[in-house]
Amino acid sequence: MVDELIIKTTDLTKSYGPHVALDKLNLAVKKGATGLLGPNGAGKSTFLKTILGLIQATEGEGTVLGHDIRTEGDAIRARIGYMPEYDALNPDMDAIHQVRYSGELLGMNPTVALARAHESLQYVGIGEQRYRNIGSFSTGMKQATKLACALIHDPELIIADEPSNGLDATAREYMIQTLTTTVQAGDRSVLMASHLMDDVERVCENIVLLHKGKLAAQGAISDLKAIDREIEIHVWGGATKLAQAMEADGLKVRREGRVMRIAHDGEDTTTRILTCAAQTGAQVRRMHEYEASLEDLFLVIMENLGYEVKTSEDLLASPALARKVDAPAHMGGGGA
Amino acid sequence: MEAAWGSTEGDEDLTATQVAEPVTTGHVFEQVYKPWKGTLNPRWMRNWAILRHHLLGIFKKGHRPWGMPTRLFILIVFIASLSDAALTLLSGLIGDGSLHQLWGISRDNLYGHVLGFFPRNVLYYPIVAALLVGSVISEDRQHGTSALYFSRPITRFDYVGMKFVSVALIQSFVVLLTLALYYFAEIIALGRGWAWIMDTFPLFLAAFLSGMVLIFTYTSIGLALSSVSKGKFFPGIGLLSIVLGTKVLAILVSTLFDREILYLLSPYDCMAHVGQTIIGTQPTYDQYSWTWSLASLVAMNAIALYTLSARVSSMEVTRE
Repeated sequence: MVDELIIKTTDLTKSYGPHVALDKLNLAVKKGATGLLGPNGAGKSTFLKTILGLIQATEGEGTVLGHDIRTEGDAIRARIGYMPEYDALNPDMDAIHQVRYSGELLGMNPTVALARAHESLQYVGIGEQRYRNIGSFSTGMKQATKLACALIHDPELIIADEPSNGLDATAREYMIQTLTTTVQAGDRSVLMASHLMDDVERVCENIVLLHKGKLAAQGAISDLKAIDREIEIHVWGGATKLAQAMEADGLKVRREGRVMRIAHDGEDTTTRILTCAAQTGAQVRRMHEYEASLEDLFLVIMENLGYEVKTSEDLLASPALARKVDAPAHMGGGGA
Repeated sequence: MEAAWGSTEGDEDLTATQVAEPVTTGHVFEQVYKPWKGTLNPRWMRNWAILRHHLLGIFKKGHRPWGMPTRLFILIVFIASLSDAALTLLSGLIGDGSLHQLWGISRDNLYGHVLGFFPRNVLYYPIVAALLVGSVISEDRQHGTSALYFSRPITRFDYVGMKFVSVALIQSFVVLLTLALYYFAEIIALGRGWAWIMDTFPLFLAAFLSGMVLIFTYTSIGLALSSVSKGKFFPGIGLLSIVLGTKVLAILVSTLFDREILYLLSPYDCMAHVGQTIIGTQPTYDQYSWTWSLASLVAMNAIALYTLSARVSSMEVTRE
């Protein structure tokens, strides 16, 4: 992937009276797929509106695809495709004409817009249903139609706000696959705001985590995951005894039934695990380096901040809890 | 039977178990991303798209889906508004002077075509305006389609401006086009020459101007109501209530308190008062100065446009 910045902000601040929605945000988003994470009230929507040039930043500056967010909002919006979280389709129109109209609103002439609408709907999997009224569509089909509206002019950057929200497993899988194909085969960039960690992890290679308008973490997911390296073992028989033995040996064990994750504690961690297994008679049927999920990463970041949350859902769904959390200094936050 | 691997806590006796192989399924559709290398047209083309979307929706599918009752009512009113043109043609065809005296082009008939109260400003024009403005902005709030506009290089001014022009143009078909057809019907049916045209054209222009004021006022009040709502009924009913309800209220005030406020309170009467002055017909509010009605009309439009602009400025792209 080319190491090219598509979004760059410097001390970007947006205040609504005394409330600071974005607080000196310094972001550098590379070409490719980036996940935008953060609890409710973290400033995601304000950030999106600011980079779309729809609201003026109070302080600081930024560029999107090389255009100034303060003065070139029109140029930015012509080069990006925005897929809103909420319904943004007229239920009385059929999909093909809705998508064509979205192209016309960008300045495409009607004939070209119609041709592209066919291609876009085919791409998102609505090809056979394109003459149906949107009012009769399922949630997944509506999401796909919104994506087709965003893709009609082949934008360099697609901003997808909760693209897989409310979808069933099949539709969700298809949406994820479509976004992935757009990035990998289409060589486009995606900025994906979502609270579904699995989806973000599958589509994106980078994340930006906002909290209380501040940057909590940003970077490649693989780099951030290296914060928390573990070895995962699958045990058959004597799991409790093994866990106790390892803890007695000074290893840090997280256990979910027969699956245990042991924190790296030097080069001999593997040997110590196997020694404990031999002593207790437990069978270690599988052992490998555990690749942390984005969910784990999120929890680690929050744990580093000093908060105990069981899942990202706890935090993302609870603005009251979220308000108590601040980013650590080494991750760009205030470190409260 | 032995429990399957992974279903227990890991503390079982060491005995062998079997697990089923996962089954994968495939799908036929091949997803191919097709790039587009075209260039986007400038601002005027985007504005034209909004105008075209609303205007063509009256006539054909694939554009803004106006409801069938709206389209049908516009057609009925369009035909009904041509009644004076039709009777002028008839009077020319049969050579009946009395019919022409009643329906032909005159100062009063031109005024009546645009600003006559019954039936045009009771049954025709306000209802057409109410049906048109009912959902033209409120539907964007209701369905979230404002995001479709504002996530694209469309300014709030362009958005509201084009919606305003669209609604005004559709009303123009009914009010101003029929006025022009009425005027031309007289020229054609009675073979009017240049001298007659030179005499009457200023009257036609005055009626045309009055019609524009009427359309502008109905549109600005209607769109202001549409911008504060998420439904289609409130703006429509609200417009009719303002146009006709203020008249009723003024009559009540006049009856109970013997105080005349009709020429100030009712948008229709303000327009009629100003229109009578522009066209030069016998004023029916002659005890009061028309400038008061004009000032009231300007104030009504200013309030409506302010509300419209404030509400459209607050429309969201992320959520509504």
